[in-house]
Amino acid sequence: MATNILDRQAPASPLKKFAQRLEVRMLLLALLIAVCLSLLSPYFLTKSNIFNLLDQSVVIGIVAVGMTFVILTGGIDLSVGSVAGLTGIILGLSLQHVPIVPAIAIAVTAGGFIGLISGTLITVFGLAPFVVTLGVMAIGRSLAYIFSGQTAISNIPDAMQNIVYTNFLGIPSNVLFLLVLYAAAWGYLTYTKGGRTIYAVGSNKEAARAAGLNTTFYAILPYVLSGAFAAVAITFSISQLLSADPLMGNQMELDAIAAVVIGGASLYGGRGSMIGTLFGVFIMVMIRNGLNLMGVSPFWQGTAIGTIIILALLVERLVSSRISR
Amino acid sequence: MQSNLAPIAEAEISPLLVAKGITKTFDRTRALQGADFELREGEIHGLLGANGAGKSTLSKVISGHYTLDGGDLAYRGHEIRLRSTREALRIGIAIVMQETSLVPDLTVLENIFLPELGRPGRLDYNQFRKRGQEILNDLGQGDSLPFDWEVRRLSSAQKQLVEIAKALGVRAKLLIFDEPTASLSPGEAERLFDIMARLRDTGHGLVFVSHRLEEVFAITDRVTVLREGRTVMNARETASLSQAELIRGMVGAELGAIYERKETHTKSIDAPVALEVRNLSSTPTVRDVSFSVKKGEILGIGGLVGAGRSETVEAIFGLRPRTGGDVILNGKALKADSPQTAIRAGLGFVAEDRRTQNIVPDLSVKENLLLAHLGAHRGFFCSYASREKKVEELLANLGLPQERLMDASMLNFSGGMQQKIIIARWLLLEPKVLILDEPTKGVDIGTRASIYTMLRDIAAKGVAVVVVSSDFEELLGLSDRVVVMSDGRTTADLPSAMLDEESLTLLAAPRTSMVRNTEMLNELARAHGGSGFWALLEGERLICLNAVASTPALDPGFKAGEARMLDATNIPEALKRREPVFVAEPDGSRTTLVVPMTSPRGHDLGWVGLSLPTDRPLPEPGTIKSRIDTMAATL
Repeated sequence: MATNILDRQAPASPLKKFAQRLEVRMLLLALLIAVCLSLLSPYFLTKSNIFNLLDQSVVIGIVAVGMTFVILTGGIDLSVGSVAGLTGIILGLSLQHVPIVPAIAIAVTAGGFIGLISGTLITVFGLAPFVVTLGVMAIGRSLAYIFSGQTAISNIPDAMQNIVYTNFLGIPSNVLFLLVLYAAAWGYLTYTKGGRTIYAVGSNKEAARAAGLNTTFYAILPYVLSGAFAAVAITFSISQLLSADPLMGNQMELDAIAAVVIGGASLYGGRGSMIGTLFGVFIMVMIRNGLNLMGVSPFWQGTAIGTIIILALLVERLVSSRISR
Repeated sequence: MQSNLAPIAEAEISPLLVAKGITKTFDRTRALQGADFELREGEIHGLLGANGAGKSTLSKVISGHYTLDGGDLAYRGHEIRLRSTREALRIGIAIVMQETSLVPDLTVLENIFLPELGRPGRLDYNQFRKRGQEILNDLGQGDSLPFDWEVRRLSSAQKQLVEIAKALGVRAKLLIFDEPTASLSPGEAERLFDIMARLRDTGHGLVFVSHRLEEVFAITDRVTVLREGRTVMNARETASLSQAELIRGMVGAELGAIYERKETHTKSIDAPVALEVRNLSSTPTVRDVSFSVKKGEILGIGGLVGAGRSETVEAIFGLRPRTGGDVILNGKALKADSPQTAIRAGLGFVAEDRRTQNIVPDLSVKENLLLAHLGAHRGFFCSYASREKKVEELLANLGLPQERLMDASMLNFSGGMQQKIIIARWLLLEPKVLILDEPTKGVDIGTRASIYTMLRDIAAKGVAVVVVSSDFEELLGLSDRVVVMSDGRTTADLPSAMLDEESLTLLAAPRTSMVRNTEMLNELARAHGGSGFWALLEGERLICLNAVASTPALDPGFKAGEARMLDATNIPEALKRREPVFVAEPDGSRTTLVVPMTSPRGHDLGWVGLSLPTDRPLPEPGTIKSRIDTMAATL
């Protein structure tokens, strides 16, 4: 009986196995876009532009880490942009009273706390993630305006710039932070009980619970991380601009969700990876950067990016359904 | 809708439906691999097979739920290709399903004429009412359905009647009944058979899908048997077959002994209790459940669909909140807070629905196998390596070469193999008690046998095994002892050697029929100042289904759900003689009338007894007998 079942499984060739890996396909897509853009614009492949690309990837990349965790559980977090805006204001206000490190700690804790509220409402009370985070999105933005008094906070200490402009081994600290964060998140999702539980929750929460996994805790945790990372991301923004504006992080959720989805994650949960998300972030940033280099009007950029995202997903869907067959 | 109208060859009696070489594959499971089937007008045709043989799939292909992959389907001599149930309904093919397709919030009348609600134009409710009444009259069920009730308020039997009426509302000629008796009391099942017989006599063709042999012999004209997706016995006259032949057809000769009983089966196991459940409740479905299981014992939990068995085991395991009672695992109280607590205390649980409750589809086979380990494990990392040896050992036992399979997806495997992997998930933890809810649902017959072997092996190693099953044959063949549940209560706890499928069916009867029986026994007992009981008698043994006593002195010596040797009761003489007269016991304490109870269709429903004191005038046995028969008709 068992052999009969085995016969139905076609042995996969090494090449096919390689192509079946989502990250590999995403890397190819990123390379393809890079090649296209370098042909279209001579400035694209210059050293300064590459550092520019990496620099632009940091903020959206950090937010996308939390978003990947949330999407892996089958949820969504629409509030990251306004949480970033609110925690940015909290950071700006705190810096008026306390030193840099405690100020950042306050902002990140605030972000995590907002995530804890969303996650609890979603997991314990069974509300829809879309609706809860939509509500938090509105509240966050509104509070950001109220706390800031509708104006930007610009007297940020100059020392904040060190967070971004210190170099280690020739790599800017913000880029280094991004890479270390992705490595840590990847390790967590791949090798720890918590990481595997997050995948299991997104794939089949009921089965995960029946196997004794702590599904409540690990369904809330991603929202906490998402809120906290939104605060970390905005800290890097503020360090560069030396100003905290209540409008900061506007529409950041869309870029983050797009990056995660381009990175191959399933919005139904259970499928996706940090490596895929990282490529997704690079793809998003490259497209935007390339369009800027080519002098495309900012009003047309939305149309271009939207089209490219949908096309990329369509091609990916067609390719993956053929490969897995 | 019919693409091809070429007529096929005429048979002597024109067949209503002919299916030839039907194949159907889901993912990688070949559910049907060349099934043949032929149905005539005016017959009830039994479609038989073990779990996973393809009965339900074939029914759903005929009724348009599934499109077939290969083979031919001809209806009234014309080739058909059905793409939806709606197309099937339009040409007159309807299915009455286990899980009904009714809309619970609409009324009975609206449900019967649901297909009409989609039509343009005004709805004529008076017309509906009139036609609905005609349909019910034709079925001989004139006043058994309140048209204005919402369907959610109906009993399962009534819902089924609505389904049948709905099919007749669109003038269906071919009706498929898929396991229609699974949630019915014996009396309700008889009424259903009456309806089916009427439909046959009015020229309908009926397909009766079942695995209960006694029902097949009672109602069908011809039988077709499927095994592993193929027809192994094609349209044979039921009367020409013996039960043994049918079983051989369903199971296959080489597998005939899958329920081979182990030696310890009949003797009671002398081991400490591993799991004890006392007065467990979990509203609304679990009301009062008590049982215990010893180390090394296999305990079966039986009952009808909806009796609260799954809910009971889920409440024990911590998947469902408890509202009362205690669970004691190895002498320690087990809290109900989460499955994690239960797992760490040494409990394992294979839930009923494989796809929704057990498999994590996006994780590999390896991680699925290690999922319960992950749940029980304390620590930051997964520490899969610590289980490596045990995993290898288990996979070898399952006959799975690990290197090729570990990274594969669970969904690439047949239901049987998936189930083995899920069971292995728990064996890995070496639990003290393993609970399995419907472990062989949707599993092919070969894998079933190996699952039974697996369970016997772990029981032999001292694990207490609890198996919930709707398949009474499986329950009796596998378990040492059977606990029967009805309406959220344990109603019997008996060694399986004392039971057969018939007595199990009666013990599992829903509370409603038991209430009616209790009323009658109470009336009899009170009217004559004695005690009454309802029991099954077999040789020297008695299984009590129900007992009431108006005075403690007349206690018959057994209670509902208990089994006794006749000599161990207080009324051995009467029970042994079973004559249609009052029989006085030699000790002069009482005199007892024991009469057989049969349904209107002649089905044996056990014996009813009435014990009275000897110092009073006795009633006429004939009048008592007729009261019992009246009651039996409504059971």
